[in-house]
Amino acid sequence: MTALITLTGVNKYYADYHALREINLTINAGEFFSLLGPSGCGKTTLLRTIAGFESVSDGVVMIGGKDMADVPANLRPTNMVFQSYAIFPHLTVAENVAFGLRKSKDLDKPTKAKMVEEALTMVGLAGYGKRAAHALSGGQRQRVALARALILKPKVLLLDEPLSALDKKMREQMQVELIRLQRQVGITFILVTHDQEEALVMSDRIAVMFEGEIGQLADPETLYRRPNSRRVASFIGKMNFLDAEVNAVSEEIDVTVQGLGPLKISAEQAPEEVSVGPAVAGIRPETLGILFEGETTNRKLVDGVVDEVVYYGDMTYYDVRIDGVAQPLNIAMKNLIGRPVLDVGAKTRVIWDERSLVLLK
Amino acid sequence: MSLRIYAIAYLIFLYAPIILLPIFAFNDATIIAFPLSGFTTDWFTELASNKSLHAAVKNSLFIALVSAITSTILGVCAARAGAMHRFRFKAGIMGFIMLPLVLPEIIVAVSLLVVVVQIFDLGLSNWTIIAAHVLICTPFCIAILNGAFQNLDPAMEEAAMDLGESRFSAFRLVTLPLVMPGIISSMLIAFTISLDEFIIAFFLSGASPTMPVYIWGLLRFPASLPVVMALGTILVALSIVLLTIAELLRRRGLARAGVKDKGGFL
Repeated sequence: MTALITLTGVNKYYADYHALREINLTINAGEFFSLLGPSGCGKTTLLRTIAGFESVSDGVVMIGGKDMADVPANLRPTNMVFQSYAIFPHLTVAENVAFGLRKSKDLDKPTKAKMVEEALTMVGLAGYGKRAAHALSGGQRQRVALARALILKPKVLLLDEPLSALDKKMREQMQVELIRLQRQVGITFILVTHDQEEALVMSDRIAVMFEGEIGQLADPETLYRRPNSRRVASFIGKMNFLDAEVNAVSEEIDVTVQGLGPLKISAEQAPEEVSVGPAVAGIRPETLGILFEGETTNRKLVDGVVDEVVYYGDMTYYDVRIDGVAQPLNIAMKNLIGRPVLDVGAKTRVIWDERSLVLLK
Repeated sequence: MSLRIYAIAYLIFLYAPIILLPIFAFNDATIIAFPLSGFTTDWFTELASNKSLHAAVKNSLFIALVSAITSTILGVCAARAGAMHRFRFKAGIMGFIMLPLVLPEIIVAVSLLVVVVQIFDLGLSNWTIIAAHVLICTPFCIAILNGAFQNLDPAMEEAAMDLGESRFSAFRLVTLPLVMPGIISSMLIAFTISLDEFIIAFFLSGASPTMPVYIWGLLRFPASLPVVMALGTILVALSIVLLTIAELLRRRGLARAGVKDKGGFL
C-alpha cells in the first residue's frame, strides 16, 4: 500500500474558531476512506482542505508526494461530489458530464462523446445524455455528479455526504453501488458522513472526528469492537457504560466492573496507556443476552429486572436494571422462535461475557 | 363588487394620462384640450426635424446605457459577494450600499455638484450625470440581483473549479448563465431610472441637456407641447417593446435553468 495523501500537522482557524486541530493523517492509494463525525466536527472542512477550497492555517497537505500549498482546486488531482450535487441546471446531462473535459483540448469531439457515454453507463445512466439536468430525480443527479467527477480519472474522489439527501432505500442501494464503483475504478474514495452505519458498511478505514480532532482511526471492525474512548463508543452504535476500577495491569488486566464484579480481560481490550485506578468499561447491547425459560448458557449470569421494552419486529431492545448499577443495561435480543417478549417489571437473568468488554479512556 | 370598482378606478387613474399621450400626439391643434380637432402626423414630422431634441435623446440614451451597464456590473459584484461570501461588517456594508435607495435625489444632486465643481474643479458633462445615475441605480440593481444570487447554490462555482476551470471561467460558464435573467431585469430597471431621471440631470448636465431636461425646457413654449406628446408616445411604445423582450428573455432563462417561475419581473 502506498500513501497517496499525507496531512501533517494541519490546523485551520476561522477567526477565533479552531476548526481543525493538529490533523496527522495518511490515506493510501485505492483506499475507501471515511471521515465520520457529528455535524460541526470539522470533517467537511478537512475534505475541502484536501480539495483545495479551504487553505490550511498551518501544516502541510501532500497529494501524490506533492505539496498542495500553492495548488488551487482546479489544478489538484481530486474531484468532488458535492452534498447538493451542484449539477449545472442550464446544461444537459451529457454537457454536465463533459464539463471537466473542456480543458482537454487534445481530445476530439467523438472521443469526448464516447467518454461521456462510458461514464454514464458506469453509473447506470446510459442513454440519459440528452436530458435536461434539472429534470432529473435526486438519485439520478447523484449519479450524474459521480460520472462528472469520475470522467476525469482523478487520483482521489471526494464525496461530501453524498447520500444524505436520498431516502433510506435509495441510500442503501447507492452504498452498494459506490462500493462496486470504487472497486471497479480503483480510485481512492474519501467519504464524509455523519451516518455511522454508512461509514461501517462502505469503508476500508474510518477516521472518527470530534471538535476538529481525529478521535480514532481504524478499520470498521476495530472501531466497533475496540473503540478507544467513550465518545467514539457512543457515536458508533450503542454502548452500555459501567464504572470500573483497574486493580492491576500485567499481561492481563485485573479490573472490577460495577455490577459484574472482579474479572480479568486481555490487554487488547484496554487502551495502551491503561493504568491502575478508575476507568469506564463498555459493553455492546448485542453481546449481552437474556436467559429465557428453557434456554441454557455456559456463560456468566447476573440477576436483573426489566425496566423498559422496545419492540422492533426482528429485535427487541430491553433495558434491564441490575444490582449496583444506576443506569439500566441496554440489551438487544433477536426474536427467535419460542422467545416471548418480556413485560416491564419481569425478573430475568442477564447473560454476559468479559470477552466483549472494552475499557475506555 | 366594490373591490372590482376600486380596481377599475385604480387602473383608470394609472393609465388614463398615458392614453392621452397618443391621442393628443395625433391631434391637429397646438392646444391640449378636448374636443379633438382632427388627425395629423405633423408633430412627429416636427419631432424628426428637431436637431436639439435629437441631441438630447442621444445624450439620454448614452447616459442610460452606460449607467445601466456600470451599475449592473457593480450590482453583480455586490450581490455575488453578499450571497456567497462571509466577511466582516457584512450587514453594515450591505446596508450602506443600499442607502441611496432612500436618499432624496436632490441631496445627491447638490452634493455631487459641490464635489465635482467646487472640490475637483471639473466641468459638467454627461459623465458627471452617469456617475450620479450609477450611484442611484446601483442599489436597485443589487436588490434585483440579490434575488438571482440567493437562489444560486454556492457549490456550483466550486464544482466548476473542481472540474478544472479557473475562478473567472467558473463564474462565466456557470454563474453568469444562471443569473442572466436577473442581469437583464437589472439593466432594464437601471436604464429606465436613468432615462427619465430629472433632478440630478438638471443639476449636473453641462451644455447639452438630457431628454427630460430638454422636455422641461420645452414646456415654457405651449406651442411645442404636442411635440412633447409625440415624443412621449414613442417612448411609451418603446418601453412596452423593451419590457416584453425582457420578460420573454427572463422566461426563457428560467425555463433553461429549470427554476420555477415566481412571476413578474422585479
